[in-house]
Amino acid sequence: MHNCNCENPLVPQIVEIVKIIDETPDVKTFHVRNENGVPFDVKPGQLAMVSLLPVGEGMFSVSWQEEKEHLQFAIRRVGLMTDELHSVGVGHKIGVRGPYGNGFPVEACQGKDMLFIAGGIGLAPLRSFIKYCLKHRSDYGKIQVLYGARSYADICFKDELFELWPKEKDTEVFTTLDRPEEGWNGHVGLIPSYLEELNPAPEGKVAVICGPPIMIKFALKSLEKMGYNDEQVITTLEMRMKCGIGKCGRCNIGSEYICLDGPVFNLAQLRKLPPEW
Amino acid sequence: MKVLNKNKLPAVFDKLAQQSELFVPLQKKEQSGFYSWKSFDQASDQLALDLLNVYLPPKQVLLPQTEKMYSFRQEEGGVAISEVYEESQARVIFGIRACDLQAINCLDQAFLTRGFVDEFYKARRDNTTIVASACYKPGANCFCSSMGVNPLEPAGADAIIRDTGTEYFIWEARTPAGEELSRQLAEFLEEKELPLPQSQAFERQVDMEGVAEKLSQVFSSPLWEELSDACQTCGICTYLCPSCYCFDIQVKNQGEAGYRFRCWDSCMYGEYTMMAGGHNPRASATERFRNRFLHKLEFFSERYGMPLCTGCGRCIIACPAGIDISKIITAAKEANWSA
Repeated sequence: MHNCNCENPLVPQIVEIVKIIDETPDVKTFHVRNENGVPFDVKPGQLAMVSLLPVGEGMFSVSWQEEKEHLQFAIRRVGLMTDELHSVGVGHKIGVRGPYGNGFPVEACQGKDMLFIAGGIGLAPLRSFIKYCLKHRSDYGKIQVLYGARSYADICFKDELFELWPKEKDTEVFTTLDRPEEGWNGHVGLIPSYLEELNPAPEGKVAVICGPPIMIKFALKSLEKMGYNDEQVITTLEMRMKCGIGKCGRCNIGSEYICLDGPVFNLAQLRKLPPEW
Repeated sequence: MKVLNKNKLPAVFDKLAQQSELFVPLQKKEQSGFYSWKSFDQASDQLALDLLNVYLPPKQVLLPQTEKMYSFRQEEGGVAISEVYEESQARVIFGIRACDLQAINCLDQAFLTRGFVDEFYKARRDNTTIVASACYKPGANCFCSSMGVNPLEPAGADAIIRDTGTEYFIWEARTPAGEELSRQLAEFLEEKELPLPQSQAFERQVDMEGVAEKLSQVFSSPLWEELSDACQTCGICTYLCPSCYCFDIQVKNQGEAGYRFRCWDSCMYGEYTMMAGGHNPRASATERFRNRFLHKLEFFSERYGMPLCTGCGRCIIACPAGIDISKIITAAKEANWSA
């Protein structure tokens, strides 16, 4: 058998699914590892290519690396490969390769108040940064998480959002649903309007956003209106990817490749790129 | 100087093909391109060293249209990678022109630099020796000299042949790999002094000065609609382009086993950037057209310091809608982008 711990960056390593968590009707979090633990170390915000070998490969943000033990991927069922992935159980072997991309500027954000703004499955990449901040709690100031979902059932990481994170020191979680729903006493409305309602002051703060492109675009406008400057606002983008190493061509925005130069950009960098995301 | 008698070429090729996979320009019925010398059929094929330009560029020597990457086998409770296919067999490309060689220089940038090395490409590239043919008579659609290419001194060649218009090529080794070819071909090379051929002027010329900078300012111009109006997004330009390298990765299953392969893809197709879930950042033909020309004339230059068009002229000949990259370059400088 080929030793797949090889130098070829396009060849995956085989890992086992050791745990599956049902987050929502269409999102599951998969914990994967090989016999030694994590197949590679991942920084918050970095990506990895996940493959069901007979079906396909897709690029996903790593939503957490648990020490040297396992990697977590929160994956929404939207296409051929993810549909198949949602049908496999614990013990199934899949491929992973990576890590890819730049990741979040965790060091540059030390000492800042953190404002995380996520929509739907967009919390998956931000979760790695949020958990990193909580793990290194004294390195960061106040932590605020603003999260929006279509419905209560569509809220990912409910345990963390409703139980764990609000108990952390100097940490607030604000959740909103797009539409009113029976049994939901929390906020109702879209993220940008809730954001403007909360109106967190920009001083000493870094805002990190991820969600559907349309939500990102409107939330960026809100932040701008609230006085955030372009260096204070960070987002993480996605495009279709095949290689993950800046060769296959398709994930470019202008002369930058999301897989290699991104997926994390601050708004100042983003403004220099064509508006094509 | 060393010279090579053209009558000896079949023998030269036979000799080279003993030790390497040799690719030469051939006319095969209606099709012309770089083909393996092993495929040469005396009855129907002709050597096409003087054809400008052979229709199919030599990029498939280094980036095959489809290539197996690795195979896997599904086993009890799992899956294992069984083989990785990195092809390191020696190759020789004979008779490549400066434009197509510059395209390989572009592929080298894309596949071998910027953090990751593409091992499949590298295995072929490291074992490829290039004999370029200096161009003295540009074709009607050629404009390589406008794209920073010197047709008389193909950059990156291991050896160069120059057609003197007589029965001889001048032979010049340029690198240790080229010297090695000279040694291998010693029995065919003669010492003879011949005058260098006279080079002829280009009919087609463009001015690239400032084009990348100009294009970086007109992304949102409505003129792209007009320029792309005729484009049918058929993708022939990307297929024939010597420097278009975008690829897809797909899987083929054969029972319990299977393999993953990559194949050429085209930025002209909607599926290219279509994500699972349906979002497509370049859904329209105009957006894809714009991205292709900006990649060729602006983005690649910004990233790697050279345009991704080498002036070979193939897309101008092949485009069913008459789209002409040299006119886009001229438009970049002269058209009214703010209209």
